[in-house]
Amino acid sequence: MTNADSTTSAPVFSVRNLWKVFGPKADRIPGSPEADLSAEELRARTGCTVAVRDVSFDVRKGEVFVVMGLSGSGKSTLVRCLTRLIEPTAGEIAIEGEDVRGMDRAQLRDLRRHRAAMVFQHFGLLPHRTVLDNVAYGLEIQGTGKAERRARAAEMVEKVGLAGLEGRRPGQLSGGQQQRVGLARALAVDPEVLLFDEPFSALDPLIRRDMQEEVIRLHREEGRTMVFITHDLSEALRLGDRIALMRDGRIVQCGSPEEIVGSPADEYVRDFVRDVPREQVLTVRRAMRPAVAGEAQGGPALSPATLVSEAIEAVARSGGPARVVEGGRCLGVVDHQRLLAVVAGIETEKVAA
Amino acid sequence: MSAVTTAVAKPDAGAVHTARQLLVRHRGLAKLVLLAVVAAVVVPMVNSRWGSGSWPHALTVDPSGSLGKASNWIIDNRDSSPVFLYFFGYVSYGVGYAVRAVYLVLLALGWTGVTAAATLLAWRFAGLRVAVTALVSLALCGALGMWVPTMQTLALMVVAVLASVVVGALLGLAGGLSDRMFRALRPVLDTMQVLPAFAYLLPFVWIFGIGVPPAVLATVVYAAPPMARLTALGLRGADAGVLEAVTSLGATGRQRLLTARLPLARKQLLLGVNQTIMMALSMAVIASVIGAGGLGDRVYQALSTVDVGNALAAGIPIVLLAVVLDRTTAAAGARLGSATVERSGRGWPVWAGIAALTAALALIGRLLNSASWPGGWTVSIAAPVNSVVGWITGHLNSGVPVIGGTADWAAGFTTWVLDPLRGGLQGLPWWSVLLIVGALAWLISTWRTALTAVLAMAAIGVLGVWSVSLDTLSQVLAALAVTLVVGIAVGIVAARSRRVEALLRPVLDVFQTMPQFVYLIPVVALFGAGRAAGAAAAVAYAVPAVVRITTQGLQQVDPGAMEAARSLGATGRQQLRQVQLPLARPALLLAVNQGVVLVLAVVVIAGMIGGGALGYNVVFGLAQGDLATGLIGGTAIVCLGLMLDRVTQPAAATKER
Repeated sequence: MTNADSTTSAPVFSVRNLWKVFGPKADRIPGSPEADLSAEELRARTGCTVAVRDVSFDVRKGEVFVVMGLSGSGKSTLVRCLTRLIEPTAGEIAIEGEDVRGMDRAQLRDLRRHRAAMVFQHFGLLPHRTVLDNVAYGLEIQGTGKAERRARAAEMVEKVGLAGLEGRRPGQLSGGQQQRVGLARALAVDPEVLLFDEPFSALDPLIRRDMQEEVIRLHREEGRTMVFITHDLSEALRLGDRIALMRDGRIVQCGSPEEIVGSPADEYVRDFVRDVPREQVLTVRRAMRPAVAGEAQGGPALSPATLVSEAIEAVARSGGPARVVEGGRCLGVVDHQRLLAVVAGIETEKVAA
Repeated sequence: MSAVTTAVAKPDAGAVHTARQLLVRHRGLAKLVLLAVVAAVVVPMVNSRWGSGSWPHALTVDPSGSLGKASNWIIDNRDSSPVFLYFFGYVSYGVGYAVRAVYLVLLALGWTGVTAAATLLAWRFAGLRVAVTALVSLALCGALGMWVPTMQTLALMVVAVLASVVVGALLGLAGGLSDRMFRALRPVLDTMQVLPAFAYLLPFVWIFGIGVPPAVLATVVYAAPPMARLTALGLRGADAGVLEAVTSLGATGRQRLLTARLPLARKQLLLGVNQTIMMALSMAVIASVIGAGGLGDRVYQALSTVDVGNALAAGIPIVLLAVVLDRTTAAAGARLGSATVERSGRGWPVWAGIAALTAALALIGRLLNSASWPGGWTVSIAAPVNSVVGWITGHLNSGVPVIGGTADWAAGFTTWVLDPLRGGLQGLPWWSVLLIVGALAWLISTWRTALTAVLAMAAIGVLGVWSVSLDTLSQVLAALAVTLVVGIAVGIVAARSRRVEALLRPVLDVFQTMPQFVYLIPVVALFGAGRAAGAAAAVAYAVPAVVRITTQGLQQVDPGAMEAARSLGATGRQQLRQVQLPLARPALLLAVNQGVVLVLAVVVIAGMIGGGALGYNVVFGLAQGDLATGLIGGTAIVCLGLMLDRVTQPAAATKER
């Protein structure tokens, strides 16, 4: 999903050494020796809790950046720090090079109104307003005229597939529909970044899948930058261009889904991704080996981004190894042995090397 | 040797240990022991210094002299001092003019216009059924010959309610937005809500004299707290997720308040308006004692001559007014509160239609030359009612075979319950009363509560109205006992039988909307004037609330626990005694607390129908212009209310509030 040129442009969000500590006199904790204590000890000694601990990452333009972790890992606090819904304790946040922590109230309001819109787990809709007025709310507080904001809101309602329900109130909608309203409300202000805070956790599995498809479709159509918080690994793998895995406020690994699944940084991550169907995440680039004589000429050709599961099908049909071809050049081959090793989870670093 | 000492020491240490365990486990016992120790030291000292028996004279302060001086000063300077000329004077004139202006508008609309407006507004806010109720109620007010007093009361109500809502909403807004303000307001509002309406009248008479302005102001002070409280709670209770979402879209503080917080609190705001209206009506009627005029005045005048017929003719419109106002605002609240209902008839065309129709009907009334309710359409119920009352007095008062008669009951209640109770309380050494109050409050709550209660009780003694206050207290306790026995018993029955509950519900609804004052009418008819009648009115006023709280408390007991008890084979009785009642303990305690507050409110008002005691002091003070007596009586009522509330308010509830 990532655009080829995205790595060269300035990151949308750039976060450096971010801390969020809750409790009395929180600002003395970051960087102090107390910060290395265990959570219980820290609370007993200082009354403070560290929610986000020395976190750094960049969100590139046009990508879907997923922050994933179990509950209590600090991911929701982290995303709220980005627009200072929760005031960070220490560190730097920049949006397209502009310092967010240094913004005054008016600048911050402008940031929230035009540049970053958020979708919430519990929707946060206004129960006394219709769907249309909820979607138009962001424009209303910006001072947009009634006709204009209603037209724009109607467009967004249509876009998220709620046409015909404009006059309903949130209480009359299902959870999935309510979240579509939340999504439309965020889209209506045309933000540079969409922030999602576990938006689908409160929904049924089937509805959740629908909504994930909806987000993928929107991203394909508009290429908007997204920061997506989730505790669901499969959701993270489905949506993310890059995933930051959090534990106890720290980012333990940040990389593409393939990197997370293929080379877990530590035991925790390895444990986490153990049950992931690896053939659906890893590509042949990771599974291939150098071609030996003759192999570079024959057999089906695959691009390096082909998933292992697709390669298995090609290899099974042809009966022989398949070539991995990029720009007309053969990078290597994959055969039964290699592909099965991926599925079995026994491919090692030397395979990747 | 050593073996012997350990053998001796061991049981001793064990006893100490178990005693400590006992104290730790039963914290109440620990408190009592501590209190007993303190009492053992202090009481002999106090006793030798001031003696026992009634409150010692040496410890009283007689403020009546200085109060009398102060009130004389006020009377002398009301027309000359700048404070009165430029502040209280303007307030008084402003309020008076406002009430008169509303009254003139109501008169100008005529009975046709007012009835049309009330019916249409009820229809707009609450639907057809309430509209019909409004129409019939107003027609009945006219038919009873009470049109003009009804309009007087309504005019006073309009001004008082508007002012209460504005004042309450502003205070509530401050409390809702500022934590510090909320912490400061909350205890004040909580306390104001437990004080009897009667206690509010005196200070206003003191400053403004007798008349409509002090009545309106007393009503505002009495009726604004629920609005303030519910506004603050509503604003604070707004869904945090919604507020966060609104902030995340870049709303300013003002936008957040106007587009999210206030709309989210609509239900509480409307509930606040509803409660304010009901309390304002209650007070507006009682304020007839200080010259509010209107329906309350008719009841008051009639009761003072034991003319039950006329009292009833004025009392019925009060009840009708209460029912219509309550149903209209409650239905409006329920309607707005439910987010899903589409609003019908929205926007200015409906309002314009209502205005036009009202104007047209008012005009027709004018053209037909019948601005006030036509005299030919009235029915006087006073005479027939009085003959019924006469019959009751003749036949039911006494001499009914087996059951005796109402007057006999009243006399019996007075002789066998009220008198011994009063005698017993007044015979108790003064320090023991303080001890009992302190122990009760401490057992049920914290030492702070106990201190407040003891200080309140001591203040009564210092003011020199100790034995009069104990007279009031004896009436409260007797009425409370009856209230709780009847209320909890009925509550248990209603909780166990759906049919009984369905039958009771409308009765309770009506009873709970009636102003306190109205309860005095039937008891005078049945029991004559006196303390027993006052206690009966108090019981009638307080029982519905106790029944309702008990029923709800029992019904809300965790069904899982009930099912578990049933599955173990518990009988209905066992379920009630071992599961429902223990689990409903908080509700029962709340019922006691509410019962005390409501009973006190009516026992005090019963001073008007021969209840004597503190209520009589207030009435006497008002009637004779002896403000010192009245003010001291009022202050004692406040202290008594404070003490009774604290003694019955569990600690958990205090925290929760």
